[in-house]
Amino acid sequence: MELIALYGLNLVYTIAVLALVVLGLAVVFGLLGVMNMAHGEFIMLGAYSALIIQQAGLPYILALPMAVLVCGTVGFLVEYAVIRHLYRRPFDTLLATWGLAILIRKAVEGAFGRDYKSIEQRLPGTVSVLGVDYPAYRLALLVVIVALFAGLLIWYRRSNTGARIKAMVQNPALASAVGIDTAFLSRATFIFGVSVAGLAGVLLAPLVRVEPYMGLDYLLSSFFILVVGGLGSLEGLLVGSTVIGGTDVVVSAISDKTAGYLSILIISILFLWLRPNGLYAKR
Amino acid sequence: MQRREFVKTAIGLAALAGIVAKPFGATAFAADPVKVGILIPLSGPAGLFGPSSQMSAQLAVDEINAAGGLLGRMIEPEFVDVGGPPADATQAALKLWKGQKAEAFIGMHDSAVRGALTNLFKGQVPYIYTPVYEGGECSAGTYVLGETPSQQLEPVIPWLSAEKGITKWYLIGNDYNWPRDTNAAAKAYIEAAGGSVVGEEYLPFTVDNFDSSLAKIKESGADGVLITLVGGASVGFNRAFASFGLADDVVRLGTLIEENTLAGIGAENSKNLFSSAGYFASIDTPAAKAFADKYKAKNGADAPALNALGQSVYDGVLLLDALAKKTGSLDASAMDAAAEGTSYDGPRGSATLSGRHVSKDIFLAEADGASFNVIQTFSNVDAGNNCG
Repeated sequence: MELIALYGLNLVYTIAVLALVVLGLAVVFGLLGVMNMAHGEFIMLGAYSALIIQQAGLPYILALPMAVLVCGTVGFLVEYAVIRHLYRRPFDTLLATWGLAILIRKAVEGAFGRDYKSIEQRLPGTVSVLGVDYPAYRLALLVVIVALFAGLLIWYRRSNTGARIKAMVQNPALASAVGIDTAFLSRATFIFGVSVAGLAGVLLAPLVRVEPYMGLDYLLSSFFILVVGGLGSLEGLLVGSTVIGGTDVVVSAISDKTAGYLSILIISILFLWLRPNGLYAKR
Repeated sequence: MQRREFVKTAIGLAALAGIVAKPFGATAFAADPVKVGILIPLSGPAGLFGPSSQMSAQLAVDEINAAGGLLGRMIEPEFVDVGGPPADATQAALKLWKGQKAEAFIGMHDSAVRGALTNLFKGQVPYIYTPVYEGGECSAGTYVLGETPSQQLEPVIPWLSAEKGITKWYLIGNDYNWPRDTNAAAKAYIEAAGGSVVGEEYLPFTVDNFDSSLAKIKESGADGVLITLVGGASVGFNRAFASFGLADDVVRLGTLIEENTLAGIGAENSKNLFSSAGYFASIDTPAAKAFADKYKAKNGADAPALNALGQSVYDGVLLLDALAKKTGSLDASAMDAAAEGTSYDGPRGSATLSGRHVSKDIFLAEADGASFNVIQTFSNVDAGNNCG
């Protein structure tokens, strides 16, 4: 019983973290069509923002605005210099952002070194839930992620900006004809996407290894989720995270991690083959 | 043209001076320098250990040159990146050997590269392999400095089992030959110590979520975990392990948890974490302290952290010097004949070559925050039978 509760909590946590990690990419790739291969690097920049705050001895909460500042600035420069010339040319964005990813990794390696950094956990210890001792920080993270997604879902459905983004995604020419500043809106959406990736980096940093190459871990799983879930909607993102995360947790529990990883690969390939638009495609 | 003539004449005279001077016991300071290929990872997954390896090697080279050189010849280290695939490493080594006439090689890299290199060298040039590895290397002309699983575990498992009351071990590692061979050796020592293995798991390198392994460890009731995960995987696993509160009751022992990995694991996650190795930056002996001081003095206080892998290259240079002294030349077959029993003293203590491996001290350290405390030293541990 206790074991089932533990696996259940792990399942919910894994899905939530995957959804958090993929959110930034879902915005940039799903809405703008930019295959952002540097997605993981923005998560890494978020983690290093947390490191800067920790080294400066400032309260950890300041890592959140710091990550938005760092990723927002880098995102703005990148959008202005590179991305805006490449909208609707997905394969070109893939190459450009792959180069960008290498550049960001090397820059961070130059500034902070290649070695592992440890971000201290501000909420140590475990809390007993359903008879299981579960890490307190993970539970807090779960609450934050659920609140974030609920807020985002409501905002995107109800706000004027959300409506303008939808209009831009569906028909850019018509959207700009009715007076929507699509250039500005695209830039803002890109910056929002990479900043969300940075925030994910801050939130995950106390739990994971922090080093210049950490971003690669997040890139693949993010694309798998979008392949399964489909592009352009939050619902698709959540469905994709559930399928990928759920498969991994369940198969790993029954068999081992190798089988878990293998099953994710097989599912992703099957989706690309048989259902290339994913489960919940809006585009 | 004139300059070349001048250089030629000068070298000729210098060589002559060297020959004439030798019988009188003077150092042949003008003899040809000797090129030594130092093969270390400067890129790729092990690139983290490149800088500390290079600085450690340079320190040993400087010391030997200051003391008169290798058999009276100044060492010219040629650092080559072997962080890539074995084929690239072979190409680089071949260029150095045949092109630049390197006369000896010292390598700190993975076993796949070692296999390719022993195949290339075929015992025709001395080659010293320095890092921790799975054991079993027995090629001609090859000398192995690194700790073998039997060295790291044979004395440590019974001692730690008795000290901490461990009876049920869970073995977890990355999925390749070093963890598998280490665990195969570990099982025998665990059984001999009266314990049992309650789980064994190998994770692909891509894994960054360890929840299912942690649940299995909890379920198994293990009171000891032997960790052969490497690098980032070890960091991620150990952080998650501690966050679940497992560190209070379960002892962790790693055979490749060095200073960088511990820094990544973090002070708050290192309770009850032990590491077994031939070197730690905090070994409390005069030789080790002197080495650490020199390293800091030369490379500054912000130098890359000293660790068992990087430091092993320093010992590699010392071993080459000791082998050359005993042989009287750098001729590979003469060295192979004279090698057995060669000994030298270094930061790790004194070491003796036996069956192409070295018998040496093994240290068991306990993590204390983000640094290691050596709590037990096992003297002169044999590397086991590697040529069987």
